[in-house]
Amino acid sequence: MECVFGLVGNGFAIVVADTSAVHSILVHKSNEDKIMLLDSHKLIAASGEPGDRVQFTEYIQKNVALYHFRNGIPLTTAAAANFTRGELATALRKNPYTVNILLAGYDKETGPSLYYIDYVATLHKLEKGAFGYGSYFSLSMMDRHYHSGMSVEEAIDLVDKCIMEIRSRLVVAPPNFVIKIVDKDGAREYAWRESVKDTPVPSA
Amino acid sequence: MSSIFEYNGSALVAMVGKNCFAIASDRRLGVQLQTIATDFQRIFKIHHKLFIALSGLATDAQTLYQRLVFRHKLYQLREERDMKPETFASLVSALLYEKRFGPYFCQPVIAGLGDEDKPFICTMDAIGAKELAKDFVVAGTASESLYGACESMFKPDMEPEELFETISQALLASVDRDCLSGWGGHVYVVTPTEVKERILKGRMD
Amino acid sequence: MKLDTTGLESLPTLIAPQNDVVGDLSAAPSFDLPNSNDFDGFVKEAIQMVKPAKGTTTLAFIFKEGVMVAADSRASMGGYISSQSVKKIIEINPYMLGTMAGGAADCQFWHRNLGIKCRLHELANKRRISVTGASKLLANILYSYRGMGLSVGTMIAGWDETGPGLYYVDSEGGRLKGTRFSVGSGSPYAYGVLDNGYRYDLSVEEAAELARRAIYHATFRDGASGGVASVYYVGPNGWKKLSGDDVGELHYHYYPVTPSTVEQEMVEATGA
Repeated sequence: MECVFGLVGNGFAIVVADTSAVHSILVHKSNEDKIMLLDSHKLIAASGEPGDRVQFTEYIQKNVALYHFRNGIPLTTAAAANFTRGELATALRKNPYTVNILLAGYDKETGPSLYYIDYVATLHKLEKGAFGYGSYFSLSMMDRHYHSGMSVEEAIDLVDKCIMEIRSRLVVAPPNFVIKIVDKDGAREYAWRESVKDTPVPSA
Repeated sequence: MSSIFEYNGSALVAMVGKNCFAIASDRRLGVQLQTIATDFQRIFKIHHKLFIALSGLATDAQTLYQRLVFRHKLYQLREERDMKPETFASLVSALLYEKRFGPYFCQPVIAGLGDEDKPFICTMDAIGAKELAKDFVVAGTASESLYGACESMFKPDMEPEELFETISQALLASVDRDCLSGWGGHVYVVTPTEVKERILKGRMD
Repeated sequence: MKLDTTGLESLPTLIAPQNDVVGDLSAAPSFDLPNSNDFDGFVKEAIQMVKPAKGTTTLAFIFKEGVMVAADSRASMGGYISSQSVKKIIEINPYMLGTMAGGAADCQFWHRNLGIKCRLHELANKRRISVTGASKLLANILYSYRGMGLSVGTMIAGWDETGPGLYYVDSEGGRLKGTRFSVGSGSPYAYGVLDNGYRYDLSVEEAAELARRAIYHATFRDGASGGVASVYYVGPNGWKKLSGDDVGELHYHYYPVTPSTVEQEMVEATGA
């Protein structure tokens, strides 16, 4: 089942997501990237119904880009998080999107930050957060080993601990994970943690 | 525990003292039994002498707060003054009843100093039925425990220091009997001249 | 000498002669069945009525020096905390402990019952019962009541002739031998800490700290767990209670409030 988690370190934020696309008992794909680059310095990791997830994150991405084009300045991470919450909250009482979001970003003024936005549009700024069944294992693991001002190596080590725990304790554990990072140099993919290899999708 | 009002967990209380009031909340943000954060804000300042606390569903508390601030700012621009607590309570009530058939799942607690710095506290249900009180009001998942604690600890006409002590003890004692609230406390004591804000250490289980 | 074979019986005698004064202790306890036309419906409702307090974190693990057993102490009914001082580690005999998750009454009753059986075994055979045997005894009884609404999730930990022993037993009839278990609503959180810190060659102090820490982190994240983190150690000379720390204090012991944090903030109010 879906596992998304993330944490803030010294000058960077990391988000991790499983890469399984599941429908009832069937695994369609085990290398589906669920972390989208919102803009140059923002990452949006989402879990939830596949249709909603893609539709909603793309909608947010395009609107954030539109704001940038119109005003010449990008949205801050806090602004993007509040915009995302607003859209989710408006949709909640019309036709809700079932998506849980971890939004990580880096701003010149405020440094790295991580926002928790669940499908009912609760917004909260966190140091470490998680969604899905994996949260039961990763949250206590992060509580135990997290400290403020972690280095990238320490953070990746912690992320690997969480992945190992999920793989060994969760019945319906996804085999593969993607790790992405955002710091002053921008948002980018950091690594994959794969235990089964899917046939790669030829890039268009 | 399946109630949507208990989804995130909360504990709110407001008390009246002598020419002052105190308003307090817990700090937990949870999803059912899972604790997500322990620095969540449920008390919001409208102006220096008016506070609102929103129990119930966290997302609706945030939405409602944003709408209330917006409406209060419009009022300030038009009237060039702050809202009186009584007026504000009517505004909250109106906003809540607007959603009569799809309510915000929030029970607000309003506390403020009105004309001649007379303390005002009130609460209302999710669709805006006002309930005024002279002594104290409570809301949230720990409300039953809070009623007991406040009923036994409250005295009329307390000075700010004693009021702070009383409201804090009432809050901390009550959330210790509730799974879904606690993890620290947040207290404001408001007198005509100053606002004192304090973070309470509490049990983190 | 009469051999106690009740543990081997697959079904308890459901309607036994009632003799409250001289009850046959070696026999499996039996209970009157309700007289109802709609038996299934009745049981379903009865289960709902005595819906036991749930929400617990218990754990136990075997290491070099023996077995470490730990638990929280909270009992909750829905969102209400009905007690912060429940004894969830039950002392079956000086060499054996049971943990309690699920229904409090079910756990207490059947552990006491197990204690009786273990003592009788000892008297009959002039040697202590093995952990394997004791857990099997309990599992067989629970299995015979399967589907009738018992709610038990327990770990039987102890020291016998073969050394340390640990079994997980539940009311669905499951019985697992293992070296590391955690049971209850907070167990995933506890596993997160436990799995990572576990090594077989832990010292008693290290193992106790690991157990305490795992319980603490579970109580932090799980609303239904809390109170006191009790830690027991079972070694060759029987069990010993090592500690019982209030997790309310434990939090500030692990994470002291940093002096830099502004605890009191004064904001000057502008006159209206």
